[in-house]
Amino acid sequence: MRGKRRIALWIAAGAGYAFLYVPLIIVIVYSFNNSRLNAEWVGFTLNWYDTLFHDQDMIFAAGNSLAIALTASLVSTVLGTAAGVAMYRYPTKLLSVLVLAPIAIPEILMGVSLLIFFVLLNFTLGLVSVALAHIAFCIGFVAIVVRARLAGMDESLTEAARDCGASPWQTFRYITLPLIMPGVIAGALMAFTLSIDDFVITFFTAGAGTVTLPLQIYSMIKIAVTPEVNAVSSLLMLLTLALIIIASRVSPTLLRSQEDLS
Amino acid sequence: MKKLLWLAAASLAIALPAAPVFAKDEFHLYNWNNYIAPETIKRFEESCKCEVVQTYYSDNEELLAKLAAGAKGYDMLVPTSNAVEALIKGKQLKPIDKSQLPNLKNINPIYLNTPFDPGNKYSVPYAMSTTIIGYNDVKMKELGLPTDTWAVIFEPKYLEKVKGRITVLDSANELFAAALKYLGYSANDVDEKHWNEAVAVIKKARPYWAAFNASSYIKELTVGNIWLVHGYSNDIFQANLDAQAAKRAFHILQGMPKEGAVLAVDNMVIHKDAPRPDLALKFMNFMLEGKNSSELTNLIGSGNPNLEAVKYIKPEILKNPAIFPDKAVEAKLEQLKELTGAQRRLRNKLWTEIKAGR
Repeated sequence: MRGKRRIALWIAAGAGYAFLYVPLIIVIVYSFNNSRLNAEWVGFTLNWYDTLFHDQDMIFAAGNSLAIALTASLVSTVLGTAAGVAMYRYPTKLLSVLVLAPIAIPEILMGVSLLIFFVLLNFTLGLVSVALAHIAFCIGFVAIVVRARLAGMDESLTEAARDCGASPWQTFRYITLPLIMPGVIAGALMAFTLSIDDFVITFFTAGAGTVTLPLQIYSMIKIAVTPEVNAVSSLLMLLTLALIIIASRVSPTLLRSQEDLS
Repeated sequence: MKKLLWLAAASLAIALPAAPVFAKDEFHLYNWNNYIAPETIKRFEESCKCEVVQTYYSDNEELLAKLAAGAKGYDMLVPTSNAVEALIKGKQLKPIDKSQLPNLKNINPIYLNTPFDPGNKYSVPYAMSTTIIGYNDVKMKELGLPTDTWAVIFEPKYLEKVKGRITVLDSANELFAAALKYLGYSANDVDEKHWNEAVAVIKKARPYWAAFNASSYIKELTVGNIWLVHGYSNDIFQANLDAQAAKRAFHILQGMPKEGAVLAVDNMVIHKDAPRPDLALKFMNFMLEGKNSSELTNLIGSGNPNLEAVKYIKPEILKNPAIFPDKAVEAKLEQLKELTGAQRRLRNKLWTEIKAGR
């Protein structure tokens, strides 16, 4: 009976992982396919990566995407952490609603309203407007993660620090911040990945000549998906994976924060 | 954490120089992807001593939505005729100073002065495509099917032979237009009785169709899974290029139905807030030159309204009756007009019925 249940569990878990990862693996495998059509396997080649590295448009777009994602994740992590701490300290409904609403609002609405807002301010659309928009929607995500981390923190630690004469800033800097660091890093990573693959909001807030990777890929798909698109997606996956590994090195508890909390 | 910050700052420093530097004169073209030949851009850049910065859209609605919300910074847009009409109504365009366009005389007069922009106050034609039949030449020959009539898409007696090997566009407007043309009406016919006849034709044919497909039919054709499609001429041209590159044993050819078809003309227009309307006019006149216009046709097999371009177009494209139709068929090509709100609601209702298979 137990054995059977165990097998069923393994199958369910395997199916779950397969559902998540098989499409990704297919994308990677076909980036090495020696066929422009990419409909069936023809042969192994690295040509698509070569094409990719010589594709000025694509490199330009990737540069923009990286610059935006880094700026957006850095700024939104600082602001989002502050927001998360505030939501924990002053648990009023209004504050949470204000911080979290941008997460719940449909992206298209957020994109259009930001565009109208920028136009009203006579703000030139470009990299800066896209970065600002990304910061706006990333703050909420960082705040949620940070608040969840704070909720699991032992309150007596900060009280002890205060008792020992630490100022509120010192308490935050030396006690609270190190304790919630896994949450902060997780938030930053989330912000980075959300920013680098955002399409809808970017589409509306990007100006003339501002191209990001998702915008570039989307406009290419309309013609024909060559393995070059697979190649750039594979590199993007690699980058995300590398980030997660770096983060888990910097903060070993990050990937098992749940267990750590209990 | 400090390390991570440093890492981030360092990568930011590497990534930032990729941002545009606003030193040279720039011309901002908001265009469809792959809708201008690279050598054409290069030559224009040399002649205007400026840099062409392209941004892409993949749907007229995308363009309209973005401009309606107030986006600016674009000098030139290349919308399809019905979108030009919407942009004119939305007061988004700048009138063209035609004295700056000596090359306008190169355009075939039948593509000028259309109801979408009477007198071409705001727009000049750039390139065009048609919605036609695409087919696998080997299979069609084997089965003995005609490829010059909509009947092959709608008549069960033909469809029986290609059951499950045919797709039609997933677009109510395009499919209704094809059915209306097949019945001998105008593609822009708005008579409800005629629409119901079209629905009957479509419903009778639907069981034989493999899918409503507007995205992956290029690939299905080149692989050989699908033998017959209702699709866009540029897509079918691309499918054949792909099939030849993959050394398939068949060609993907374009069939122009003798009943006529939908024509989509893309036009150059100048945005009202264009930072450099002077460069936009220069570009317009440049693209109206035969050689420059021909390069796009040679690249993607688009139809060309430019009479001077014909000299420079590859002979195999020139003799393709779907890209350069003869006079009789050319007269039966129609550009789709916008529907009124009530008409659109009725069409959506009929379309839902068709798709749901009731």
